Parts: sequence; C-alpha cells; structure tokens
Amino acid sequence: MNKISTRQLYFLLACIMPAGKLLLLPTRLAEAAGNDLLFPAAACYLLEAGAVFCVLLLAERNTSLYDLLRERVGKVAAGILLALLSLFLLFAALLPLMEQRLFVQSIFYDTLPSLAAFAPFFLFAAYLCAKPLFSLGRMWDLLAPVAIAGLLGILVLSVGSAKFGALLPVGAGGGRGFLKGSAAAACWFFDAPLLLPMLGHIDAKKGTAWRGALFYLAGGGAILFYLAVFYAIYAETAVNQLFAFANTSKYFAGITVLGRIDYLFIFALALVMAFYAALPLQASVGCWTQTFRAKPLPVLLSVLFSALFFALLSLLDLRFGDVMDCISGTLFWIFPAMSAGLPLLLLLLLWRPRRA
Amino acid sequence: MRKFLKTLPMKLYLLLLAAVLFSFFSNDFGLVDIQKTAIILAAGVDKTENGFLLTAQIAVPKGSDRTTGGTSSVEIEAEGKTVSDCVTSIYSKTGWVPKLVFCDLIVLGEETAKSDVISHLNYFLRNEYMPDSCLVAVCEGSAKELLSSTSALADASSLAIEQLFSDAAQKSGKVMPNTLKEFAIGYYGVSKSSYLPFLRMADQEGAENAASGSSSGGEGTEPQKIYTAEETAIFSEGRMVGLLSPEETLLFSMLEGKVFAGTLSAEREGEPVTLTVLKNDGSVSLKGEDAPKAVLSVSLVVRLCCRGVTAPIADVSDDSVPKEVLESAASALKEHAAALFEHAKSAGCDLFNLKRTLYRTSPKRYAKWKDLLPGAAEVALDVSVSSKK
Repeated sequence: MNKISTRQLYFLLACIMPAGKLLLLPTRLAEAAGNDLLFPAAACYLLEAGAVFCVLLLAERNTSLYDLLRERVGKVAAGILLALLSLFLLFAALLPLMEQRLFVQSIFYDTLPSLAAFAPFFLFAAYLCAKPLFSLGRMWDLLAPVAIAGLLGILVLSVGSAKFGALLPVGAGGGRGFLKGSAAAACWFFDAPLLLPMLGHIDAKKGTAWRGALFYLAGGGAILFYLAVFYAIYAETAVNQLFAFANTSKYFAGITVLGRIDYLFIFALALVMAFYAALPLQASVGCWTQTFRAKPLPVLLSVLFSALFFALLSLLDLRFGDVMDCISGTLFWIFPAMSAGLPLLLLLLLWRPRRA
Repeated sequence: MRKFLKTLPMKLYLLLLAAVLFSFFSNDFGLVDIQKTAIILAAGVDKTENGFLLTAQIAVPKGSDRTTGGTSSVEIEAEGKTVSDCVTSIYSKTGWVPKLVFCDLIVLGEETAKSDVISHLNYFLRNEYMPDSCLVAVCEGSAKELLSSTSALADASSLAIEQLFSDAAQKSGKVMPNTLKEFAIGYYGVSKSSYLPFLRMADQEGAENAASGSSSGGEGTEPQKIYTAEETAIFSEGRMVGLLSPEETLLFSMLEGKVFAGTLSAEREGEPVTLTVLKNDGSVSLKGEDAPKAVLSVSLVVRLCCRGVTAPIADVSDDSVPKEVLESAASALKEHAAALFEHAKSAGCDLFNLKRTLYRTSPKRYAKWKDLLPGAAEVALDVSVSSKK
C-alpha cells in the first residue's frame, strides 16, 4: 500500500512546507511591502490554505488525480492536464533549487565554492524522486521534529534582538505595497499543487481537509512570527539581508561566549530544506507515473529531471537575479492561477459528496 | 546475495545522504590556506583626492609557545576609487586573499567622516562574509595613523580599541559603541541620523621605558599609544555634524538606560564626590499638540562611592547619599542633558530618533512636523537622582 497517513500529511503541511519559505521570501517581502510584510504573507497563506482545503477534499475520494480526471474528461484530456501540472511543478522547482544552492554557497562557505559542491544534491533528489510516497511519509515523520527544533531554536535566539516597533506604522505601504508584496511572494506558494499528485495515496478521512488547512495555517503562523522578528531586527536594512534566517540568531548575547551554537538549528533547517527543495521534482515525476504506469518510469524521470536541473543551474549560475525578477516579477501570476485557481477548478469539476 | 540486493536501496540512500551532508556542511573542510589568506582584523578608511585609502590590519600569528604566543599584525594600505577597488588592490599587491569574516572594527578618518560615510561603508554592508555586528568608529586624524600605531596594551591597535567597547565599558556609560548594522538602520531610517564613538590616541606616559620591554621596542621606535573613546561623533544623513563631549556622551548613555555600576561626579560644599550608579532608566519621548516637545527622562539610583576629602571611618562605611549631593548630581545632569539636546538640535542630527518615533506612532503628526524636526523641537527635562536608602 503506497499510502501516507494523515499524521504524515499534517507534518508535511505544518513543518516541512514552511521551511521552504525562510530563505529569500523575507527579503523579497521586505523589499516589496516594507514594514507591512506580514499582510501580503498572511494573504498568500490564507489563499493557499483554501487551496490545500480544496485538494484535501478531493483526497477524501481516495482516487488518483489521473483516475478522477479520466472519469470526468477522458484519457487524453486527463493526460494533458497532468502534463501541464507536471510542467508547472518543474517551473516552480527552479526558484527553490536556485535559492537552496545560493544559500549553501553563501552561508556554509567562507569563499565561493565550485558548482560541484552542490552536485550531490541532484543525486539525492534523483533517488528521492524515485522513492514511493510511503517512504517520503516516513521521512516526514523524522523531519518534522527536526524542523520544529530548528525553527524554534532560531526564533528563541533571535527574538531578544528584535525591536518590534520597526513594524510600525501599520499600513504604511498602503494598498500598493500590499499588492506588490503579494505578487512578489506568490512564487513561494505552490504547496497545494504539490499535494495533487498525492491524491489517492493519502489515507484521508472525514475532516482531513479542514484539519490539513489548519495545520498549514499553523506552519504559516510560525513563518509570520519569523517574518515579524526578521523585520524587527533589520528594520530598513532588511532588504539587504539575504538568507537572513541563518543570521538573525547571531545577535544572541550568548553567541559571543559560546560561539555560533545557532548553527545547530540552522543545519537542522537546512536539512529539512533539502528535502523540501526536491519535493516539486518528486511531485512532477508523480504526475507522469500515474498517467503512464510503466515500472521504470519513476527512475528514468527522476534521473532525467535531476540532470536537467543540474544543467539548468549550471547555465544560470550567475543569472539568479534575472531568474528571480522573471519568476517573481513578470510571471508571478502563474502561481496563484495554478496553486489556487487549479485546485478550486478541480474541486468544482471532480468533487462528489461522500456517500453515507 | 538476495538479502544484500534487498537492502541495497537503503544503503545507497544513506551514502547519498552522507554525500549531501558532506558537501553542504563541509565548509570546504575548513581548508583555509593561511599562507594565502589575509585575515583582516580591522579596516581603516580614509578619503583621498583620488578616492579612498584602505588600511587593513592583518593578523599574523606570532608563535605557539607561551612566551611568544598571541597575535601580531601588519598594516597593508591600498588606494582605489572605491573601497572594493582597495580590497582588490590588497589582493594584487600581496597575493593574499583578504578575508573579512573576522573583521570586527571599521575606523573612519575624521575628514572622511565629514562626507557621506555610507558610500564607504556600503562595501562592508553588501559583503555577505562581513559580520554586520562589526564595530564602527571615527578617529581623530586619519584611520591609517590610528591602525598603524603601536598599542601599549595589546598586540594590535585594533584589539586595544575593541577593548574600549567591551560590555563593561558600555555599562560604565563612558563610551557609546555602535555597529555597522545599527548605524545603517539609523542612516536608512526616517531620522537619517546616528552616532559613532570618536577615538583619540595619546602617547603613553613613560613610553620610553615601556617600549624597551615590548616586542616592538628598541631605539628609534614610535612611542606606544593608548586610546580613548569618551566622545561621540553624531551624524546626520551620513555626515559627521558634531562631537559630543564626555559628559554629553555619559548623559546620552543614561538616556539609553545602559549605565550600570558607572560613576557620576557631584559636589558637596564645593568638594568633589563620586557616586556609583546602581540603576539607570532612561527614555526620550515626544509630546506636544501644537509643537513638538521632546521629553528627556533619566532616573538614577546611586550610592556614595568616595569623597575627595579626608573622612572619618564612620563616614567611609556609610554609603547613604546626602540630599545636597543628589541635588548637585541632578543639577549637573540637567545641564548636560540640555546641552546634549541643543548640541544635536543645532547640528541638525535627530539623535533621539524623534522623527522615527513620530512616524511609527502618529503618521498624521509626522506629516505635519517631519520638516520641523529636530530643529523646532523644544525640550523638557525629567531628571531624578535618588539614593538607595
């Protein structure tokens, strides 16, 4: 039985998914919305929680997305829709992977390492993508406490340096700041589409949908609190703080005596992030494997996608700024359309009330 | 064989995981070639006609045995149109890769500080390997002279200077250190004002004798120096616009509520008395309906530390403070507070972040008064000095 339990699903929603929003999202939000960064982030979280709710309602039917679509729109259209979803997930995977690479290079190395230092990640990703879902579920069981300890540790060490007055006055950026911030943050919110290929593999029961949305919001609450701490520490200079989650805790008074003990928590979160960064690739592979059920397909696609992204990251080595501007600036609208619009559309199209 | 094949995926997985962990967290396995690396302890920036002069104080290990252990330093200078050019120039001159990760002090020359210093500090702010908790200070004369001087107290001048900004020194209220991060927040905030400690150096008295005993001693050597940072340079829009006296610096420190176990001078019947500060609360708030009014509040709990006159043993054991002394201390503090406020106001420095307070708490009044502050602000002083008993 290739199933994940609801517990594992909640761990993914509340603990693993928030880790992906700690790298560059805070800086980008500060740049776009200034001290009002919490509002666009909260709006994105609420929208995405709604989308997660929609997907988990579909999960209660305990049928794969391909089968649900095939029943409703036929084989060919179902295949096309899943191919589109897979392409979107590959597109969405680019930014987290580039972020992850830059983060590792900037924070864990004193001088710029070669691209090869990041290459093993793709071996890891290829292996992870080929694994069945139940294996990932077990990993989330293990990673959830690591993520909680990591984020909690960083928050505890950081909060003492925060001057929350920096978040005032509320609403300084106005509606324009809110819209700019929401648009800039949109490309970090594609968690609901990540769940779509898992349909049919989630051991969903009645109430899983709203509980899942609540767990997702709980993770979001932790991220919002971190964003507040981040801006309260850096205030007007927050726009200059790349990968701030690895730095906010260094102002803790004890660090001067004990050394960078906060690295323990940073490493813990970096480990969780490595799993999170591979998730879109894994979901993309999942789309194809439920359409074509050939046995070697997951392995072949895992290797292919990982190699593709390694090549892409090598090509775009020094173009991160352009990629970021393109994805979170020009093409930002793709994310709300696919991550909120698509789940809602699928729910309207496919949902049937559970039989008594 | 079958059992081995069955567990192969897990083994492979663990191997890959180990490889990822190694490559992620290896930090290049800590391989820093000390022969090719210049570990910069402090950087001094001076403005020249053609751009900047960067003086980098680079650590040189002295040895590992007890008698010669410690850190010595050499100063490398480089000129360029930007600070980044200077750093590159150090690399090309010496072949050493400049490493800023241990740089804990940036010193700006006095003349340099009179232009917008953020153009000099930007390089350090942008550099992801540079700690933004690094201390920044202005010095009398040039930063090059200061960093190249020989400290009477430490192996390197920067180490002696950093000692001036220790936690204990801060609690004494005699210095007001500031970091790169806090200075930048002040500069880029609505107040556009900040402060930095002002360093002076002086020959150590009796240096001729002391020099012979030190590692750099001998005939013809420069006199050894001691450093002080009791004054504070104040900045508006990145330019140094004034210098606070030691008394004003102490008061500024008290307004920030940072003083603990510091000392305070007062008088009794014309004779000097020193008080120890046991507790300090300080704040600056902005009031007023029609015109801005800053309220400077300092509250101190003190006890008698010593008198400047001969006293009987009963008096020495009594640490209660006579009312007359408390009043004398409060009066002196009020005088310094008024002087401090006027000094900052006349220099156009929003030292107490009045604009920022207004912006955060009352956007309406901020819109009305933003161009009036700090110049048009009146001051109200609320100073209280009380005894422990």
